[in-house]
Amino acid sequence: MTTSVAQTSESKPGNGPSTSDMQYYYQYLYPFKPIFTWLNHSPKPGRDMINRELAMAFRSGAYKRYNSFDSVQEFKNQIQRANPDRFEIGAIYNKPPRNMDSILKAEMKPLEKEVVFDIDMDDYDSYRTCCSGASVCSKCWKFISLAMKVINVALVEDFGYEDFIWVFSGRRGAHCWVSDKRSRLLSDIQRRSVLDYMNVVRERNLDKRLNLKRPYHPHLTRSLDILKPYFVEIILREQDPWRDDDMAFGSLLTGLHDKNLIEVLKRYWKSNPRRSSEQKWSDIDALAASQLKHPSSSKKTDFFNKLHECKEDLVLATLYPKLDVEVTKQTIHLLKAPFCIHPATGNVCVPINETFIPSNAPKLIELQREMEANGNKVENTSLQPFLDQFQQFVNQVTRKELASAKREREDDVDSQF
Amino acid sequence: MFRQSKRRVANRRNFGDQVSRTPGKFILNGITSEEEKQLYQSLYESKLSFYEVPPKGEITLEQFELWAIDRLKVLLEIESCVQRNKTAKEIEIIVKPLLQKLLPFTTEDLQDRKKDYYSHFILRLCFCRSKELREKFIRSETMLLKLRFNMMTSRDQAKFVQTLNLPFLQFISDEEKEQLSTQLYQTISSSLQFQLNLTDETARRQYFEQEKFIKLPFESVIELVGARQVFIKKGYAYLPQFQQLNHIANEFANMLSLALTKTYQTIPRLNEDDRLLPILHHLSTGYTITNFQQHDQFGQASQGEINAKSVYSSAIQENFPLCAKNLMSGLKENHHLRYQGRQQLSFFLKGIGMDVDEALQFWSDAFTSGGQMTQEKFNKEYRYNFRHNYGLEGNRINYKPWDCRTILSRPRPSRGEYHGCPYRDWNVDKLTLELSQGMSLNPSQVTSVLDSVQRTEYTIACTKVFEMTHGGSANTEINDQSHIAHPNLYYERSRQLQKKAGAAIK
Ligand code: SF4
Ligand SMILES: [Zn+2]
Repeated sequence: MTTSVAQTSESKPGNGPSTSDMQYYYQYLYPFKPIFTWLNHSPKPGRDMINRELAMAFRSGAYKRYNSFDSVQEFKNQIQRANPDRFEIGAIYNKPPRNMDSILKAEMKPLEKEVVFDIDMDDYDSYRTCCSGASVCSKCWKFISLAMKVINVALVEDFGYEDFIWVFSGRRGAHCWVSDKRSRLLSDIQRRSVLDYMNVVRERNLDKRLNLKRPYHPHLTRSLDILKPYFVEIILREQDPWRDDDMAFGSLLTGLHDKNLIEVLKRYWKSNPRRSSEQKWSDIDALAASQLKHPSSSKKTDFFNKLHECKEDLVLATLYPKLDVEVTKQTIHLLKAPFCIHPATGNVCVPINETFIPSNAPKLIELQREMEANGNKVENTSLQPFLDQFQQFVNQVTRKELASAKREREDDVDSQF
Repeated sequence: MFRQSKRRVANRRNFGDQVSRTPGKFILNGITSEEEKQLYQSLYESKLSFYEVPPKGEITLEQFELWAIDRLKVLLEIESCVQRNKTAKEIEIIVKPLLQKLLPFTTEDLQDRKKDYYSHFILRLCFCRSKELREKFIRSETMLLKLRFNMMTSRDQAKFVQTLNLPFLQFISDEEKEQLSTQLYQTISSSLQFQLNLTDETARRQYFEQEKFIKLPFESVIELVGARQVFIKKGYAYLPQFQQLNHIANEFANMLSLALTKTYQTIPRLNEDDRLLPILHHLSTGYTITNFQQHDQFGQASQGEINAKSVYSSAIQENFPLCAKNLMSGLKENHHLRYQGRQQLSFFLKGIGMDVDEALQFWSDAFTSGGQMTQEKFNKEYRYNFRHNYGLEGNRINYKPWDCRTILSRPRPSRGEYHGCPYRDWNVDKLTLELSQGMSLNPSQVTSVLDSVQRTEYTIACTKVFEMTHGGSANTEINDQSHIAHPNLYYERSRQLQKKAGAAIK
């Protein structure tokens, strides 16, 4: 696999769009209608959008909560008028959030919301050597792609969800929105548990052994199978974090189970500094075989089994995605809407899949240029493929919703007899 | 007299589930004792109840209150255990004696059954009023159900499950089990090892071969999903039968939650009965602060060893709960205590075994040693007060030491006063300082105590402190780990441990 060299989308001030750029974007490019339909689960305005909280964030740092809109037109007009830097999507309440002032806060009850997941690059920082801070490149983006892969399989195979979409966060992360009816109904406690199920690596803590129970839960077995082939490429070769000897002592050796082995390796690497991660990874088995005495052959088998398990845990410790807890666990949590512009990078937060790399994201400035060049036809800009992808997703969601509403009606009729 | 206080409180309407029937009428007409017997026979056919239909029949106002209080004691003990992170096994050992005494459930006795049934429904009335109370009630009732379930024989358990008629109790076919056997075994293997103690692989395999699996929406066993203790596939969880209790408990909690909301909506109708509301109110506030422990046996740990001097020794004082320490230091500083503080400390000291002569000595020393008060003044103004506390003056009541509930229900201390409960009355900074430096708790222990304080669960905070400063729960006999809601119980337990440790050294 070839990779472009550290092509960064750095957040230098001045790189982001101006307020008039934003005005332009909301006027000509932002897909209000599909977003509305998606959140509403139907083209005809209903509770799911009318009672839905949207919040706007402004350049000044101001943050306006409890907005809600009755129609696509109103949605567009209000956003255009307020011209926020970005806006965020929250829960469906029992009453329209915009009436918040006139009703008691205690009477506002969140009812439903998409289940959302948030993964962020900084979680991988301890194993990321190609870039640091806000920068990303196609090499380290593989962490995110792989995370998406693992989560996708779990959502489909385990939870039975079908209607979800990943959205680029605009800089160095991705959000997943799950629209399946069953997921929208989850309570806070249930969201928390779904998250616990997914979150295997609670902290990518460098100096603690993961020490997962055996046998692995099938979700872990499967995740390991997915991650293993990439471990050599991403961790051992490209990122090569353990070439740094201190890193190796601090996060590789601490993952092993045997004191003597750790001592032997430490000594060896001290006298042979800066061996690559790949070399160090194979040193472990080699020295365990040549330098340690095992009292019996069955003890020896046990030892190598245990060592193998440690290595499996290390694969998970370095590559298994860690999901942000706060974002997922609360129904009322707000998350940036798809197709917003990242205020620092000017990137559009487009829907993505596992093959995406950040440099593929359209930038607002380029879109404006494309519009000027082609007579203001959105269809001819580089945004269009992403709009198509999103529309397809929305169609799928509304179709399902329709079918399930019909089923419910029939069930109701049935149960009357 | 007795006849007058008899009140028919227990009709369907009051309990809210079926509001529509016979409005304005107060009793469910004549249920005979024979019918009553049969009713409870069927309700408790499998020894344990899901409390799905409201109770019928009559009970007296006294029963109403006493039964509720007894159940409350049990629930509070459970709540306290949960707060202190006790394991299910530990909770069982701690709560069992209380359960046998207050809410026996494996009996055939009609009164016991009625008590169990009614007390549950009465407490629903108390705890339906706020989300917080509802959650607490659901949590401890669900725990109670689990405890009792585990105390039953497996035959009774099976019988109980059958009567439940739960949705989704669908066992998977042998073919499906065969198909998924790898994943299913992988998932439950460690639970078999750690929960059922099957340390041997062959035993686990054998168990697995026999085990039946229930397929149900994963949301129904969400805790097990979060802990990755069930296998899930396409939105369904495969629950091994030995984990079934989790599912049952979950259904119970859901049912209860719905019922409580319903009860809440119908509770205004209760206003007609002005005798119930104060009781209900009393019960539900009592629940948030403390329980109703009564200890008549105080003073045992220190027979004859407490006198006006020895009470100052560190061997004695290190067993004091924070409220008593606070009073002692207030007294030392000011050579005086105001009325509330005097009462609280004097009863506490009486409770740890200080007799009246020593008490008079103690107080007069304390008050006069500052040089501001003469012995005459003390005799004139205070002697009576302390003698009175010992029942030697006035109406000669033998006052009992105050429990935490009493302490917490009195006026809060104002400036220059030292009575009350420091966990409630001190500000966070002062409390943190005392916990971390005075008692040398580590930061996470301090946080845990402050957590309880923030939830206004002062006696739980105090019980936690007791455990933390007494070598953790490992040090204590497990049946001595019940909730502390009396400063004198704190002292007794601490003193006994201290003596045991001393004996061990010798
Ligand atoms: S909880 Fe009770 S024993 Fe503990 S300090 Fe408060 S009043 Fe005293
Ligand atoms: Zn990079």
